[in-house]
Amino acid sequence: MSLKLEAGWYKNAIIYQVHVRSFYDSNGDGIGDFAGLAQRLDYVQELGANAIWLMPFFPSPLRDDGYDISDYRSVHPSYGTLEDFKNFLSIAHGRGIRVIVEMVLNHTSDQHPWFQESRSSSDNPKRDWYVWSDTDSKYRATRIIFLDTEMSNWAWDPISKSYYWHRFFSHQPDLNYDNPAVREEMWNVMKFWLEMGVDGFRLDAVPYLIEREGTNCENLPETHAIIRELRKRVDEQFPGAMILAEANQWPADLRPYFGNGDEFHMAFHFPLMPRMFMGLRLEDRKPITEILQQTPEIPESCQWCLFLRNHDELTLEMVTDIERDYMYDIYAKDKVMRLNLGIRRRLAPLLDNDRRRVELMNGMLMSLPGTPIIYYGDEIGMGDNVYLGDRNGVRTPMQWSGGWNGGFSAADPERLYSPPILNPVYGYPAVNVLSQKRTAHSLLSWMQHIIEIRRSTPVFGSGSISFLHPANHRVLAYVRQLGKEIILIVNNLSSAAQSVELDLRRFKGNILIEMFGRNIFPRISEVPYLLTMGPYQFYWFRLRQI
Amino acid sequence: MAEETLLNDDFLRQLINVGEVDIVVGLSTHNHARTIGPVIAAIQAGILKCFPRERVAIINADGGSQDGTTELVERASIDDVWRESKVFALRTLHSISVRYDRTPDPGKALQTILAATDLLRAKTCVLISPESTTIEPDWLQRLARPVYDENFDLVCPIYARQRSDGALMRNLLYPMTRSIYGCRIREPYGSEFAISGRLVTDFLAKGISNDDWGRMGPEIAVTVTAIVGKYRVCQAFLGAKAHPGRGTQDVVGVMRRTVGALFSSMDSNFGMWSVVSGSELPPTFGKPPEIEPEGSRINRKRLLDMFAAGVAQLEPVLRSILSPSMLGELQRIAALGINEFEYPAELWTRTVFEFVASYHKSIINRDHIIQALVPLYRGRSLTFLTENRNGNGENIETREEALCADFERLKPYLLKIWADGK
Repeated sequence: MSLKLEAGWYKNAIIYQVHVRSFYDSNGDGIGDFAGLAQRLDYVQELGANAIWLMPFFPSPLRDDGYDISDYRSVHPSYGTLEDFKNFLSIAHGRGIRVIVEMVLNHTSDQHPWFQESRSSSDNPKRDWYVWSDTDSKYRATRIIFLDTEMSNWAWDPISKSYYWHRFFSHQPDLNYDNPAVREEMWNVMKFWLEMGVDGFRLDAVPYLIEREGTNCENLPETHAIIRELRKRVDEQFPGAMILAEANQWPADLRPYFGNGDEFHMAFHFPLMPRMFMGLRLEDRKPITEILQQTPEIPESCQWCLFLRNHDELTLEMVTDIERDYMYDIYAKDKVMRLNLGIRRRLAPLLDNDRRRVELMNGMLMSLPGTPIIYYGDEIGMGDNVYLGDRNGVRTPMQWSGGWNGGFSAADPERLYSPPILNPVYGYPAVNVLSQKRTAHSLLSWMQHIIEIRRSTPVFGSGSISFLHPANHRVLAYVRQLGKEIILIVNNLSSAAQSVELDLRRFKGNILIEMFGRNIFPRISEVPYLLTMGPYQFYWFRLRQI
Repeated sequence: MAEETLLNDDFLRQLINVGEVDIVVGLSTHNHARTIGPVIAAIQAGILKCFPRERVAIINADGGSQDGTTELVERASIDDVWRESKVFALRTLHSISVRYDRTPDPGKALQTILAATDLLRAKTCVLISPESTTIEPDWLQRLARPVYDENFDLVCPIYARQRSDGALMRNLLYPMTRSIYGCRIREPYGSEFAISGRLVTDFLAKGISNDDWGRMGPEIAVTVTAIVGKYRVCQAFLGAKAHPGRGTQDVVGVMRRTVGALFSSMDSNFGMWSVVSGSELPPTFGKPPEIEPEGSRINRKRLLDMFAAGVAQLEPVLRSILSPSMLGELQRIAALGINEFEYPAELWTRTVFEFVASYHKSIINRDHIIQALVPLYRGRSLTFLTENRNGNGENIETREEALCADFERLKPYLLKIWADGK
């Protein structure tokens, strides 16, 4: 079953990011699966999310949590079968939930048959599907992304006795996108899933598709040409499908990925996320407003994707050295929390489990321009386990109840793909869906409410934004507007009560209606509009000319 | 408790927007557009370099400037209205001005800054002179760090001075403060200093700004309050002291604000200083900066003439202030030629102490007493300049120590005449 064709659906979506493996285990083998995910779609629907982003679920040696794909046209046996996937897709669509599939274009696993063929001899027809070299001295201006594990972007292959190019782990050789056969095959892979009914792709690591000597091998014009070609095919053959760019870049470098509305529909706004955390701890809106003011306009049909946390570390690549040091000192004092250039922690622990701060951050996530993504478990305040390797500490089993394995699986705990969180603060006995469903004031209930409000108007998804600049720098205030619908958002980033005067003269005569309680606030006049705000409080006001 | 009455509604509104801060940098100005530019630039650079994470606000108390001083200060603000060329800052920097009066009043200016510091709950307040054009961004750190990181309450500056600089400080304010209060603060009347939030609160609560000595010399009042209250005091080496107004300074006015305030402070603190003997060196941070020696162009003959004329013309006044033997000795040296003239350390010390005692007893109008000290100070300055004409830093230091030793040694004499008649 496919959902109704609806152009621009992604602009008003609430995306729920989930890993099949981590969500729900239906067959008691300790690993989440598609049948389990399908069973729990009611939960996603009740939360208010109307799109799911699935992390890689393809066959893989799982040396990088599925980002090392060894077969693009199947499902990892641990997660079920292709039929299970189709069934899940059908149920999701039946509940009005669109499905976005993660597609790793840039590289494969070194166990992928393509690479096995490619490395077998220099005469093999697949030889040119990867980037080979006799030396490791090419493309020297290219940075190494996984600084903690990789010394070079080249790895020596003892079988073919030459070097192959990899921007990520050395077991993930980069595909050679200069080869038309590779481009065609990857399109065929995408077509395979689109024909099945998926609604879009999150395309992983897109800036790195092409390599050129003398450049940093990122964001090259040739890469954009490939994206445009993909987009053209998507639009022609699967109108309504969406492609989302994962490109961890500065806003100015990200802008070209939208092209003239002919490349990506959406792109993650990576630089904004750390600045939201920074602004909160500095109690200063400056980092947030500055980065948004530096963010270029994007075509009408395009959209930013906003997130607070995801399956990766809280990346600090797109901040200055001073900002990075500050973030480390504030959010990752213990060095075990740091990974590469980032912090591997979940939302609630990052915010000291302070409910007011969690709400404020989600309030900003839902009201700033873009489509919000909620990382599974953050809606109930799940914790992390920084002692698990790599980023596995933020990929622990979903906590459904206080029962056996947190309700995630009937398997013996030793069989679980990952130990669940068990500590007294964040462990599943304390933090779980079941208990939060029973409490009207739980974080989960609150999240449902804010999502409901967010979805009550298209202003948040499609409206313009203009910042107010009140003299009180602890208050972040902006106006979202779409046609005649106007919403004023005021956020107190401070741990203390604040008063703020807002210049709202251009809206003179309007009354303010607070969107959560629907209470009426005084009419706007010529004089500055005075608001007093509690610690970390935020207001969403609908302006009405009555 | 803050003196809220000092803070008009507009200023209060600005302070609300600033909110709680870690450090206040205070500037007291009056028509300083000529010099404030490099000063404010250095302050901003110092904040960004040395305190990038701290919440800092620049508070300017202005005494009615008409030359655009306040606008120059306000321009140092860093906000979130993005401009490509703007310097990088982690957080917002508020730089705000308040006009406390239409005419300058150093006491009121300081009180305004301290009241704002108190309201903003700053841990540290750094006062910077708008005339300190030689300021380096690091000064901010040198002054603020001991308070901010090491819980000192007052950081006084030590400037790198030329041989001929700071005669009043070297011959009177330093040795006097040292002998009276027992603390070897080289610059008790520094143009720059840092003060802790708790000392600010205490200073305001005691209402010292409203006392005579607090009004006259607010900076000395802060120093004395810190010493008398047994707050933790230290010193920090800064660079060269700027002298934008050199040669045009009103010596009588300066002495009223400094010497007068110091003398005045002794009335209410007798219980403390009368039992102090000797002195202690407070912790001192940094190392002395080196400066290029400059040639001095002092007219020694003119100084002698002013001294001699003062002794002669003010004889009736001096007679009421000084002992007969002291007056006689001054008259004797006033008659000496330029090459023979010497105003010895011990004689100078006794002179000062007799002035202190007379000031305490208000033998005549206190302002007149200070005024009468001016020509005598010129005579002592002449000896100071003559002695140090060819001296190196070490020689000068030795002579200063000797003078201070005299002030400490002769303190019993002061105690005697303080209580006795003249």
